[in-house]
Formats: sequence, structure tokens, C-alpha cells
Amino acid sequence: MKIVTEHITILNEELVLTNQRAIYWNKESALILSDLHIGKTAHFRRHGIPMPDDILQKDLRRLKELINHFNTRRLIIVGDLFHAKANSDMDTFKTWLKQFDDLSLVLVKGNHDRQSQRLMDELNIHVESTLIIDPFIFIHDPSDKTTKNFTFSGHIHPGVLLKGKGKQKLKLPCYQVSENQIILPAFSLFTGLNTLRNKTDVVSYAFTDTAIFRLQ
Amino acid sequence: MSQFRDSDGLRIINNWMAEKGHAPFLFQLQTWQRYSNGYSGMVVAPTGFGKTFSVFLAVVIDYLNHPEKYPKGLKLLWISPLRSLAKDLAKAMTDAADDIGLDWSVQVRNGDTPTATRRKQERLMPDVLLTTPETMHLLFSQKKNSRWFKSVRCVVIDEWHELIGNKRGVLTELAISQLIHYSPKVQIWGITATIGNLEEAKQALLPYPNLKVTQVTAKQKKKLDIISVLPDEIEVLPWAGHLGTKMVDKILPIIASNTTTLIFTNTRGQAELWYQVLLNAKPDLAGLLAIHHGSIDKKLRNWIEDNIASGYLKAVVCTSSLDLGVDFKPVDCVIQIGSVKGIARFMQRAGRSGHSPFERSKIYFVPTHSLELVEVSALKEAIKEKQIESRDPMVLIFDVLVQFMVTLAVGEGFEAEALYKRVKQTHAFQYLTKDDLQWCLHFITKGGKTLHSYEEFHKVILDEDGTYKVKSRRISMLHRMNIGAIVSEVNLKVKYFSGGYIGMIEEFFVSKLKPGESFILAGRILELVQIKDMTVLVRRSKAKKAVSPSWLGGRLPLTSHLSHYLRLKLSDALQPGRLEKELRFLNPLVSRQNEHSHIPKADEFLVELIETRDGHHLFMYPLEGRLVHEVFSALMAYRISKLTQITFTIAMNDYGFELLSDQPIPISEKNIETLLSKDNLMDDVIASINASEMASRKFRDIAVIAGLVVQSQPGTRKNNKSLQSSSGLIFRVLEDYEPENLLLRQAYTEVFNQQLEEARLQKAFDRISKSKIIVKYAKSFTPLSFPLKVDSLRGTMSNENLDKRIQRIKEQAFKIN
Repeated sequence: MKIVTEHITILNEELVLTNQRAIYWNKESALILSDLHIGKTAHFRRHGIPMPDDILQKDLRRLKELINHFNTRRLIIVGDLFHAKANSDMDTFKTWLKQFDDLSLVLVKGNHDRQSQRLMDELNIHVESTLIIDPFIFIHDPSDKTTKNFTFSGHIHPGVLLKGKGKQKLKLPCYQVSENQIILPAFSLFTGLNTLRNKTDVVSYAFTDTAIFRLQ
Repeated sequence: MSQFRDSDGLRIINNWMAEKGHAPFLFQLQTWQRYSNGYSGMVVAPTGFGKTFSVFLAVVIDYLNHPEKYPKGLKLLWISPLRSLAKDLAKAMTDAADDIGLDWSVQVRNGDTPTATRRKQERLMPDVLLTTPETMHLLFSQKKNSRWFKSVRCVVIDEWHELIGNKRGVLTELAISQLIHYSPKVQIWGITATIGNLEEAKQALLPYPNLKVTQVTAKQKKKLDIISVLPDEIEVLPWAGHLGTKMVDKILPIIASNTTTLIFTNTRGQAELWYQVLLNAKPDLAGLLAIHHGSIDKKLRNWIEDNIASGYLKAVVCTSSLDLGVDFKPVDCVIQIGSVKGIARFMQRAGRSGHSPFERSKIYFVPTHSLELVEVSALKEAIKEKQIESRDPMVLIFDVLVQFMVTLAVGEGFEAEALYKRVKQTHAFQYLTKDDLQWCLHFITKGGKTLHSYEEFHKVILDEDGTYKVKSRRISMLHRMNIGAIVSEVNLKVKYFSGGYIGMIEEFFVSKLKPGESFILAGRILELVQIKDMTVLVRRSKAKKAVSPSWLGGRLPLTSHLSHYLRLKLSDALQPGRLEKELRFLNPLVSRQNEHSHIPKADEFLVELIETRDGHHLFMYPLEGRLVHEVFSALMAYRISKLTQITFTIAMNDYGFELLSDQPIPISEKNIETLLSKDNLMDDVIASINASEMASRKFRDIAVIAGLVVQSQPGTRKNNKSLQSSSGLIFRVLEDYEPENLLLRQAYTEVFNQQLEEARLQKAFDRISKSKIIVKYAKSFTPLSFPLKVDSLRGTMSNENLDKRIQRIKEQAFKIN
């Protein structure tokens, strides 16, 4: 796995965008990510649709590499950590989590996060509906936003459609950065892309396995 | 034999027909007799000659002669591909039974049947049931379904030619196999129109060695008049759709001078467009002109069909939705707008007019661009030489097999070994190996080879009594919703805000509209209010103009039969025969082509190189249909890119293709033969196409049929949102984790057989290798290249790597959506 980075500065905070679907925040030693959708494959399996659990393993391997790469002390998950009700994937995640001794987890509740407080306590996850760490606010769904402060969101799985001469087309996942918000790409690879845009003043950072591109 | 001739049953039927002033056709008599002698078989007859009564009355006669052979309950199952046929057939059969004094009940069961009626049928089946392949499978998914079918003596597959070439045909083959299992004495009869491979069609329908099989062919032939409608003047640079609406003035008099006219267009979008155009040109037609296509509300469609039959409507703009179906007596004229792409389809549409046995069919052809006139000329020639396309039955269709196995498991359950023996008898699965079946079993019980954590995956389980069953109600329900082999685009219902249902529209089209914008559906201009619960809410719009919806799919490629005749006619076009008025009309265009470039003779292959502001164009004209050109063009791009680093944009239509590059294309008389060589053909093809991308597209249908993707039902609140995923995502997952997955392999096979049309491609290169290759340099677009330039179904082919390509697109002032 190749970690390619792009450094940006927002409100004097240094942020490291990676091509592996997570942002590293230097000052807080925090890795910010969204939409892991753990339990999605198992949820499909329960409904008779066979999906290998390697998909989850691969997502977790990637997350581990990122955690180690940045010397991460804290994970900020901007919603949809879990996809569905408790299933075997949660156990996998629990086991996986044990390998990190001093990693703290904060979850900003997303529309999929309907798990009991007990499970969250068991996993030692701190849950918030809105998280404020100066100078930023973290909210899962950007359309719920009522604040003027700079927000971090997930939920929409942003992607970008590149069109070139002669109708060449490419769809890539991206970070959407605008004046007062960042929308994170979905961390899980088992997710779709949404290429619709409501705003015009958006800078997109699209990425591939080997590169990041700034698009305006 | 004499026994049958003297039988009471035959006498009763003959008397009944005589009372109505008819006498049986020879093929009807033959069918009756052979059915009575215990034969199964296939009836080949054109529509309008009483093919329905050939088999229906055969069963009636046999019943009258030997009532003791027919136990109480369901006797005759009539499976037809079209729902709309069933209603009228049932009426005709009921009337006949009543007249004869037979107390049979004839009923319809399909997706439109109300639940109450269905429950009633489940308690007491009628004597005759008219249904569809999908409904048969739904019946198999019910508990204790075998009790309904034990008494069945005859199964009829109507319009077999419509089913044979697609996955619904495979569903039908499996249904027959299951019915034989339930009722071993059953006789199977197919009814088909003429196709190129009748023998094979019969084999696919009746592969069972225990059956006595025969074929009955009607001698009657339909008389056909083909009239092309010529524009007032010819543009020498034609392009698709351009002529279109200018031809309205030519169409109106045709409508006026006939009783009822069907106007066929190729797409639903075109139908909407023409409906508007005709109404604008002649507002008097309001109320007498209707529009009919697959996205229009069922009730409205039924109303339209009833009013065609009653002769109230003067004309109907329609799509293939009216290709088959009820015989509309008043229709005496058919207008075809734009290319039909195939000989059989053209004849079928023509046959919708002049339906009674001895009337003539009349079809007007209205070109949408002048080059299509060559096609009329080609069609006439092909029909004269009685050349009709084949429809190849499909084999080893694993998605349908997997679905069928789950269907049985939801129903009565199945035993693996017995199922293997049964399924292997069908034509579709004659080459099925035990390993294949084992894989399918594994797939439905454990989710495939690489699914390690299958504890949660209890789709199908092996019960203690040795049968495979589905125990979960949730999975049974999901599966029943998913039965069938027609995979449609995601459709949304369109409803008035104030209530009232208008029709269906593809999500892909609506997603591009904003609230307040207008579009046309069912001939009405509608304004989008909002989208909610898979339903599009609209109100009447005051706008004068609006976009016509586009529906994906529906782009049929030219058949190889027709393209053969097209090449001949194009080469004739320089010296048209005295009677070939289409070709004579085209002469100015053809001459211009010949002046600025060349008209390829039957043994020539034309290559054009043109340089314009857009860049460097390469045009080739194999005339092999869109699909083959897709592969052909990618292959050319690949072979050229081996000479130099270059990126192409590719466009194609049914006549040829274009490669466009911003760099000069290194092609000349010297290397052209190497580029078009048939050596290493398939190796280069595989290297050139993005097979994985194509397979991923094919996988869409497969994933739905095999139950990997849950389709949301239009208009329902419960849309299983947490189970939504795209087939593309699943395709990638399977490629990563289980490359030997049979469904994945099937996707690639379908690419090679249907998309690449490997056999046809080979033949094309054989032909080209024997042809004289002509390279022409032109200063501007030629009549042949111009439509291609305008028609832009474009793909890309590049040997630059991804990152570099993005960089380049960026430099070219890309647009972000």
C-alpha cells in the first residue's frame, strides 16, 4: 500500500490528506475518517447475498497501516462506523481493536449508527452527535449543519467525474473542500460514489492508489 | 388414422367452424391429428392464420374423444411471453368452449392478476391457465405446488421465437423440465413464427428422448408491400434524426388514407417526440392519436389496445411494445420510422397490418437520415431471397440456474442428484458438469468458495431429509420478488401530485432533472415537483417545450443478415437498377461520396483519413453493426497504438466507426494491410478491449438474476436500502476474491458471445482479408463519415497510464460535474 499525502492548512491547522481515505490532523495526533460501514458484508450475508468477509479485513488492514504510519493517538470517525445491527463483523472489529493499547475512539453518530450504548461502551468508543474540537466541528451529515464554524462531514461518499476531450470519463473518490467544510470520502472500499454537486465553490482532492489530484 | 377422422370430437369442431363459415387449414388438421396420436411438436405459422386454435382445439378434440384421459383440475397450460396476449386469448378460448358446450374454465394468471383471483386459483385451478414463464417460476416457489400440475396433459409455449434467444427462454426450458417431472405424460407443443434455425429451435424446446416429436408447418404466406417514403430533397451530408420531423407532412396523408395506422419508432424517446410532432402538425388528431410504450401506465395501455381493436383510434405511435400481441383487426397500415436493424423484426412489424389470412400487409418506411434508404433496398432484397435471422438458444446460463434452484428450495425443496439429472436433459444445461452443479449448490448454501464466515449466510440449507430448502421467511420473500430474467433499469413511478398514475421513467434520466424542470411522458408535458419513495411527483406544466426522456438500452445492433445485404446494395448504389427507387433517389449522395472519396464495391473495404479542426480522424466502414464495430474499433486503436503512443476517442454506428486523435494517425497504404490482418485476431482483441469493464456491464443483469443485487420495487416504501449495492461493486469484489466464480465466468462468456460476437468478427476479418483495401484522404467529412461524426457513442482507448491520463484531461480544461 502506498500512502500519498497532500498537506493543506485550514484555520492555521495543518491537515494531511491521504490517498487512503483518511485525514491526519497533526496537532491532535488524530486520524479523521468517515463511513467505515463495518458489518455491511455480514448484513448482506444475512440476507442471502454472499459477500466475502475479506472486504472488511482489507479495510482494517489499511486502517492499521495508516494508524501506524502517522503515530496516531486518536481516531475521529465522522459517522457510519457500523452499517447495520450487531453481527459477526462487529466481533471481528472488536478483536482487531484490541491490538492498539492507547488509541482512543470518538464516533460522531451517523444515520447507520443505531447500535446500543452497551456495545459502544464495550468497545470503549466515545459517542457524540456533534463533536467540537476547536477550531472544528464534526457532523456526520453535512445537510444537518446549522453552524458557521468549519465542519468535517461524511455521509455522501463524494466522488468526482472527470470529463476530458472527446467524452473521456473517469470517476474517482475525493475530498470536497469548500470555504467552511470538508466532506470526507467513504473509508470502506465497499461503498459507491456520489458525483453530484450542490455547491460551486468546491475544491476536490481526488485520488488513486498512487496519487492525489487537486481539482477546482 | 381413420379413427380420428371419424371421431366425434373432430366432427363437433368441424361443425362449429362450419357454422362460423370457416374450414380448418391443413396445418390445423395435422396438428389436431398428431396431438391425438400422442405427439409433442412445434407449429410453424405466420400470425393471423389461427395458430392458437391449431393447438387449443387439438386438446379440446382429444378431450371430447377421450374424457377419461383427463383428470379433474388443470389440463392445459398456455405459456406466452406477453401478458397482453393472455386476456384476448382467454376470451377467444372461453367463447369457443361455450359455443361447443364445453364446461371448461379458462383463466389468466400473471403479474397483473389480483391477489384475490390468485388465491382462488390456488384453491381450485381452472381447466386452462394462460401464464408467463416468470409466473410459472413463481408458482414453483409456492409450498406444495406440485399438486396443481399433476393433472396437466398439455403445455403450450406460444411465440417460442420470442423466447428462444434470451434468458426467458432458459426459464421456459427449466419450467418445462419441472412440469414433465410433475406430470410425466404431458405433451409439449411450441408455436413459432419462421426463424432461420427452426430445427435448432425445436431441439431446444423438445430435447426429451421419450417424447414423440413432430413439426407442422403452415403453407400460407403473408403478402407484403414495402413502400419507402422519400423526402422532397436529399441532403448529401445526412445525419441521424435530422430528417425526422421534416417528414411529418408525408406521414399525415398516409394516416388519413388508412383506417388505422401503427407508427413504429425504435425508442420510447422517439415515440414521445413523434407523438408531439404529429399533434402539432395536425391538432385535429387529438383524441384519435395515441402513444403506446413500455413505460406507460398499464391501464392506459389497455385502453389504447381496446380502442385500436374497436377501430376508434386513427393512429398509434408505438415502440416494440406493440411488436407482438393481440391481433388488431382494423390495422391496415404500418409506418416504420428509422432503421429496424433486422429482417425478422421488419417483417413482424409489417405483419401487424392486414391481419386476416388473405389480406396484404402494408408497411411504409420513413428514413431518419437518407442513408437509411439503402437499408430499405437491402430489406427488399433479403425478403425476396427469404433470408431470415436465426435466434440462438442460450446455454449454461448459471444465473438462471441458481435462481431456479433457490426457487425450488423456497417451494417444495429439491434433491441434488435428481435435479442434476433433470436439468441436464434440457438444451440449456446439457453440458452442465457435476462440478458446476456442486459450485451452484455451494453458492446458494455457503455463498461461494471464498466466503469463510458463512454462519450467517443461511440462504438455502440441506435439510435432514436430504432436500435443499429455504427456511427463512425473509429470504423467501426477497427471492420471490426477484424471480424472472428481465432486468430493467431502475424505474420510478410517475404520479401527479394530486394523485393519478402516469407511467414509469428511468432513475438515470430523472436524476438529471431539477424540481421545476419539465419533461414529456405519455404525450404530456410534466413539471417535476419532487422525488419521494421511488416515486416522481409531477404536475401539469405550462411549458410549450420540454425534454423527451431518454431510456437506456434499446440500441439494437444491425443483424449480420441485413448487413450482408447492405454491403451489396451500397456497392450497387452507383448504378441502381431501374426499379430501385430508393437507390436512384440516393444518387446525389452516393455520387458525392464517390467524388470526394469512394463507394466501396462488394469486394472492397474503405478506409478514410480526414483532418479537421477537431483533430485527425480515421474512418472505416465494415457495415457489421454497432457491437462488432465497438470491438473492431478498439482493436484498430490497439494495433495503431503499438506503432506510436496515442490516445483515441472512438465513435461508432451500424455502418462504421471513427477513431479521433489530437495527433496524426500513422496509417498509410503501406501498413494498412498489416493493421487489418486476421493474424492474432482474438489475442489482439483481448489485449485491446477492457474485457473486465465489458464483463462488469454484463454482470449487472447476472447479479440481479442470481440474487446478488436486490432490486427495489418502484413505488414501494420499503426499498431495502441497507441492501443496496451496485453490481459493479460486487463484480470488483468477486474479481478480487473469487475469480473462478461461475457467474463471473458467465459474464465473460456473454461478452465474447454477445458483445464481441466472436464468430461474426472472425468472418468480417476473413472477408476483409480477401477484399481490396482502399485508403482515401478527404479534406472534409464525406456523406458516409458525417453521420458517424454526429452520432456520438464514444468510448476511449488509451495506452497511457491512469495518472498521466488525468493530467492530460486536466490540461485540456476538463469540466467537473
